[in-house]
Amino acid sequence: MGEAGRGRLCGEEVAMWFTRLAITRQFMQSEVVIETRNLTKVYRDFWGRRKVMALKALDLEIRRGEIFGLLGPNGSGKTTTVKLLLGLLFPTSGQPLVFGRDAAEVTKNERIGYLPEESYLYRFLNAEETLDFYGRLFNMSRAVRRQRAADLIDTVGLGWAKRRQLKEYSKGMVRRIGLAQALINDPELIILDEPTTGLDPIGTREMKDLILRLRDEGKTVLMCSHLLADVQDVCDRIAILYQGELKELGRVDDLLKVQDVTEIRSNGLSLDAQKEIEDVIKRDGAELQYIGNPTTTLEELFLRIIRESEAHPGRRVRGNQESQGSQGS
Amino acid sequence: MVVETELLPFLQWFPVAFTHWVLVLGTVVAVAVIGGYIVTAFRHGPKVGFGMTIGVVSSGVADLFRISPRRLFALTWLAMKESIRCRVVIVFGTFVVLLLFAGWFLDPASANPARLYISFVLTATTYLVLLLALFLSAFSIPNDIKNRVIYTIVTKPVRTSEIVLGRMFGFVAIGTLLLVIMGVVSYLFVTRGLAHTHLVAASDLRPVDSKPFKGGQKSLTGTSSRTNMHSHVVSVKPSGEGLLRRTKDHEHDLTSETLANKTTYKVGSPVGDLVARVPIYGKISFTNRAGRPVSEGVNIGDEWTYRSFIEGGTLASAIWTFEGIQPEMFPNGLTIEMNMGVFRTHKGDIESGVPGSIQIRNPKTGKRVEARIFAAKEFVTDIQFIPRKLKSGNPSEPELDLFDDLVADGKVEISLRCLAPAQYFGVSQSDLYLRARNASFVLNFAKGYLAIWLQMVLFVSFGVMFSTFLSGPVAMVATVGAMIAGLFHGFMVELARGVTYGGGPAESLYRLLTQDNMITEMQPGLRTTVIKMMDQVLESGLLVMSNLLPDVSWFANDDYVAYGFNIPGDWVLSRTFTAIGFFIAIFVAAHFFFKTREVAK
Repeated sequence: MGEAGRGRLCGEEVAMWFTRLAITRQFMQSEVVIETRNLTKVYRDFWGRRKVMALKALDLEIRRGEIFGLLGPNGSGKTTTVKLLLGLLFPTSGQPLVFGRDAAEVTKNERIGYLPEESYLYRFLNAEETLDFYGRLFNMSRAVRRQRAADLIDTVGLGWAKRRQLKEYSKGMVRRIGLAQALINDPELIILDEPTTGLDPIGTREMKDLILRLRDEGKTVLMCSHLLADVQDVCDRIAILYQGELKELGRVDDLLKVQDVTEIRSNGLSLDAQKEIEDVIKRDGAELQYIGNPTTTLEELFLRIIRESEAHPGRRVRGNQESQGSQGS
Repeated sequence: MVVETELLPFLQWFPVAFTHWVLVLGTVVAVAVIGGYIVTAFRHGPKVGFGMTIGVVSSGVADLFRISPRRLFALTWLAMKESIRCRVVIVFGTFVVLLLFAGWFLDPASANPARLYISFVLTATTYLVLLLALFLSAFSIPNDIKNRVIYTIVTKPVRTSEIVLGRMFGFVAIGTLLLVIMGVVSYLFVTRGLAHTHLVAASDLRPVDSKPFKGGQKSLTGTSSRTNMHSHVVSVKPSGEGLLRRTKDHEHDLTSETLANKTTYKVGSPVGDLVARVPIYGKISFTNRAGRPVSEGVNIGDEWTYRSFIEGGTLASAIWTFEGIQPEMFPNGLTIEMNMGVFRTHKGDIESGVPGSIQIRNPKTGKRVEARIFAAKEFVTDIQFIPRKLKSGNPSEPELDLFDDLVADGKVEISLRCLAPAQYFGVSQSDLYLRARNASFVLNFAKGYLAIWLQMVLFVSFGVMFSTFLSGPVAMVATVGAMIAGLFHGFMVELARGVTYGGGPAESLYRLLTQDNMITEMQPGLRTTVIKMMDQVLESGLLVMSNLLPDVSWFANDDYVAYGFNIPGDWVLSRTFTAIGFFIAIFVAAHFFFKTREVAK
């Protein structure tokens, strides 16, 4: 077989591999990892009187292998949702399901890694002791614990400080060891609450890369954040909550697409041809690089939804339709 | 030593106690399940409420049986590490400082220094360890919730039973470690604090006015040097061996050495101050002044009816019947030890004590012998030795053998009489006993620490349980409250049963406010009816509480150790099993409290 034949074969193999990957990914994404059914949480005072409704009838599905972002301003119910999913809170009504089991079920935690908003860890332990302790909670053997702890300390770049007590760590270092404890069990589902808080720009970049890498390894990531750029960078799908209600849900690129505006990008186009763009492009023989809808930024989308929600309380915002007007104007 | 309630043999005690435990636990579980259902039904409707209640109970019970040893060990280790970092060192430091300065305040001139030293170390250890247990247990879980560290624990596959049990085990383990160290330090403190010797010089001794021993040697007597605020009467036999006679509950051996016609005396360490007597108690009965059997002696007007009094110069007597007395136990004769109270109606002879007599009687044949005439010693233990061969005073049978003639099938009666008219001896069942042997003092001392350990286990259990649903300070107050209520358990039971003077809590309060007499009946009427009804409710509550809380004072045994009595195996077993019973019940309660609460806000 000649060089060309080998190249064709390789090309076919790659194509097949991509097809298989796509099928696998599609299959995996069809598996629901997190599901909330009419999930409602009402906080009550000591006497059982209603204080605040933190979450109103949330219906949500998060599929395997995706990075899902929960967005919302402070008090919107995103942390409440996470706490309900982790069994830290009990729902007032509705059902939070993780891996098809009730969130109160302890065994589900064997497949979950959780990084809280701030790394709530025992400050009198050092990094090795911390990971060893959390490893024991997963019933890991001594050898596995040691190996995992060493790998994770290396991954988060704390090898030089592994024997120091956490009380001597900076905020960013504590955050890193917090991430390591969340990954100690090689979880299938990783729940990250404000994962980039306290990290410097390099740390933030590394965290985002890590999240993408975890997704590529087939893990599901649910992250809460109000750092919109971070969410836009890494999330496949997002849900926007406001005052306990779901306001928007969908793929990030779909949500950010401005439907009523066409964007044409080309180079080498003569000035005359600009009036009748497509015909001229064809006639002119110029290279058409892109015709499509421009995207807005997540920040703009988010702020618009909040404004709409305040103007029309209780109404679900239709991002794409509504956005046409606002973008067109 | 006061022994107000008779110690039941373990095998006799256990079935009753176990049945009571099962009944109380079963009732509490039933009430909790029904109460839980009512609350959930009220919030979510009867059908959902039922499902939720069943779900919580079934998963909660499953959690109890699916405890992972590795996770449990991790959580125990964490609790220990946390304790070491927090307060344990402070407590141990305080203990050492207390011991360092204790020597200034422990009075060596007291009648019984050993009792003082032992009481001090046991009391100090008890307070410090219980205080530590209280702080550790009441604040640990609330602090974790407050700092939100609990988020990273409960989001792991950890069961609430493991979290609760891990804390309990961790704090008990650290308390045990501390107690062991404190016990060793205390033992050294007591033995070194009491260790002393005296000097006896040949010039201090004079011959006893008695027949000379062979070779013309006589017994010698004198007084030893004064050390630790006391001296001893010295008795030296013609053989040269001797004794520093009993003072402050101890004596010393004396040996002599003669070299070049010069005799030197060497005094040994104190003997008899650190002991663990093994007493054999008998059953007490009384006869009145006419010699007829009565259920109890005379009441001299003392509110504390622990002791009953026998009138002197009459046929009134207190009779102890002992069983299981065998010659092997007392090969040389009976050693009787007595602690009695004396009530005088007149000053009498102030030079000597009130006279009394001890009579030994065969309960089967009625044969008896007046074995001893003695002068009563108050406030100290009087030791009387009854030899095997006794003079009967009967010309036909001048000498009797203790075991052949006076003990029948292991039974013997010892009766005590007061010989001085118009004077009284006050005795209780435990005031006269036979001393068979001495047990190991070290072991007895360890049993004293075991009692503290059991109390610590109770404190830790209650502290952790309250901390599963209360904040730290409130949990601490609740634990202290439960333990104080446990200290007054006996009074609580009396109040609940309505056998106290002045009625129940409401009636007592009314009498207090109106300065009404405790003894007089309240006037019938609406007011009395209302007060009695209130008392019925309060007494029911107290009855419930008395069944739920441990009798903390029941676990204290420092008197045994300090007064030099061996702590019986029945005591150890009954207390240990009681503590285990409470531990299990409290652990289950704590597990469900924690399982049904939200750890986040």
